[in-house]
Amino acid sequence: MRANGITIDDTFAEAFGMSATGVIVTADSPKWARQAAVTMSGFGTSVIGCGAEVGIDREFTPDDTPDGRPGVRVLMFGFSPDALLPQLKNRVGQCVLTSPGSACYAGVDSQTRIALGAGPRFFGDGYQTAKRLGKKHYWRVPVMDGEFVIEETTGVITDAVGGGNVLLLGNDRAGLLDAAELAVAAIGNVPDVITPFPGGIVRSGSKVGSKYDGMIASTNDAFCPTLRGAVKSELGPDTVAVLEIVIDGLTSQAVANAMKTAVDTIIKVGWGKGVTRISAGNYGGKLGQHHYHLRELLP
Amino acid sequence: MSGLTFRLSTYTDERLDLSPLIPSNLATLPLSDMLGLVVGTTKRQLKVGDLFAVSGQPGDTVTIQGGSEHLDFVGAGLDRGTLIVDGDAGAYAGRKMTGGELHIRGRAGAFLGSGASGGLITVKGSAGERVGSMCPGDKFGMTGGVVHIEGSIGDRVGEKMRRGTIITRGVAGAHAGSRMLGGTIWAEKGFGPGPGTLLRRGTLIGPAVEQMLPTFADSGMHDLVIL
Repeated sequence: MRANGITIDDTFAEAFGMSATGVIVTADSPKWARQAAVTMSGFGTSVIGCGAEVGIDREFTPDDTPDGRPGVRVLMFGFSPDALLPQLKNRVGQCVLTSPGSACYAGVDSQTRIALGAGPRFFGDGYQTAKRLGKKHYWRVPVMDGEFVIEETTGVITDAVGGGNVLLLGNDRAGLLDAAELAVAAIGNVPDVITPFPGGIVRSGSKVGSKYDGMIASTNDAFCPTLRGAVKSELGPDTVAVLEIVIDGLTSQAVANAMKTAVDTIIKVGWGKGVTRISAGNYGGKLGQHHYHLRELLP
Repeated sequence: MSGLTFRLSTYTDERLDLSPLIPSNLATLPLSDMLGLVVGTTKRQLKVGDLFAVSGQPGDTVTIQGGSEHLDFVGAGLDRGTLIVDGDAGAYAGRKMTGGELHIRGRAGAFLGSGASGGLITVKGSAGERVGSMCPGDKFGMTGGVVHIEGSIGDRVGEKMRRGTIITRGVAGAHAGSRMLGGTIWAEKGFGPGPGTLLRRGTLIGPAVEQMLPTFADSGMHDLVIL
C-alpha cells in the first residue's frame, strides 16, 4: 500500500496483555506536577530491564484534580499487579514524596486496588494521620514544606495492552526523527496511552533471544542498516535509518487509536522528511494476544 | 419521582417513632398493613392510619408532610432511597442510617444522624444537640456519611464520632467533637466553648472559637494541600 508517497507494509504490530495502574500527581504549578511525574517515569522504558513501563498520559487542569491544583497522570505497566506493587511504592516514595508541594492520588478507577500510600505513609514515622472523605482514604504525611497527601490505594487493571508499535523507515535520519517526534506529540492527545521510551521513540528495536547465553533480547539485525549486506535484511537499499514508537494503553482500543494517530501523522508529514516506509514489529503473531494490522488503521 | 406521601392530619402531643416509614420497609407493604404500623410510643398504640393521610405508590421516595418536633426517629435505619420531611423533625432523625438521603426542610432535634454510617442528611433549619453523636449503649458516634445543616447546631456535636463529615453554615455549640476519634466537623461561623474535649483524632474547622481548652497548643500558620 502507498499513501502520500510512503509505502505502508501489509503487516501488523503484535502486543501483549499487561497489568496497569496509574496515579495523578498534583503540585502548586503545572511545572512542578510535571517535574514529579517526569522523575517518577525515569528508568521506566521497558518492562524487561526496568520492572515497569512508565510514562505521562496527560495533564489535568485544576478543575479535574482531586485537590483543585494542576496535575499530571502517570500510567505504569507491568507483568502483573504483584510486579507493579514495588515499582509503585519505590517510584512514589523516591520521586513524588520528595518533590516540592506534591500530592498523589489514584489515577485508575477499578474495583481491584493496589497499595499506594500504604508504603510511603510510614515515612511519617508515626506522625502520619489518616483521613477518610466519602469513600476515599487519604494519608497526610508531615514533610518539611507542609504535608504530603497520598491516597491509600489506586486501581489496577489486568487487561491493559503493552507493546503496540509503529516503525518509520527513511533515507534521512534527522528528518525521520522529526517525523517521529511529531507522531509522538500527536499521540500525546490520545487518552489512556503512554509512549514509555526516551521522548517516546526507540532506536534499538530488539528481537527475542541472542547468541549469548542469558540475554533475553538483542538487536533487531533485520532492521539495522549497517547489517544490510551481512544478514537477511528487511531493509531496501535506500533506507538509512529506522525508528520505532512503542505504545502501551489501558485498553486495546486506546492502543489502536494511538497507532492510528501515529500512522496518520507520519503519512501527513513524512514525505518531506525522508520517510519512505511505515511498518510494524511482530513476532510472527504467536507471542502476543493483540494484533494491530496497519491496513486497518489507514485513513 | 414516584413515592408515598404521609400527610400529618391529626395533632398529637405524644412522641412518635417514625422509623418504620423508610422506602425499603414500605416497598412491598400493602396499604392496609401500612396504615396499621404502630408509630405511637404510649399504651394508646397510635397507628399510621390514626395520624396520617397516605397517598401515592411505593417507590424510592417517602415524603412526610407537616412536620412536628414530636416526630422522632424519622429516617432512622434508612438504607436506600430518599426521605423528605416537609417541616420539622424531632429527635434521633437519621439515627443508624446506612445510606440514602434524608432531607429535613425544617429544624431537627437532638441526636440527628447519631451512629449513622453512610448516606446524606440535609437540614434547612437548625439542629439540636449531639448531632452525629453516640447514644448511651453505642460504641461510637457517626462512622460515615455527610450531614449538612443550614442553621446552627447545639452542644456536643460529633461526640465519639469516628468517620464522616458534619457541616453547619452557622455556629456549633459547646464541646464540639468531644471524645472524637476521627471525621470532620466544619462550623462555618465558628465553635462555642471547649471544642475537642478529650478528642483523640479528627478535624474541626472553623473561623473562631469562643473559648479554647488549655489542652490545645497554638501551632502557628499552615499552608496545607487539603484541610
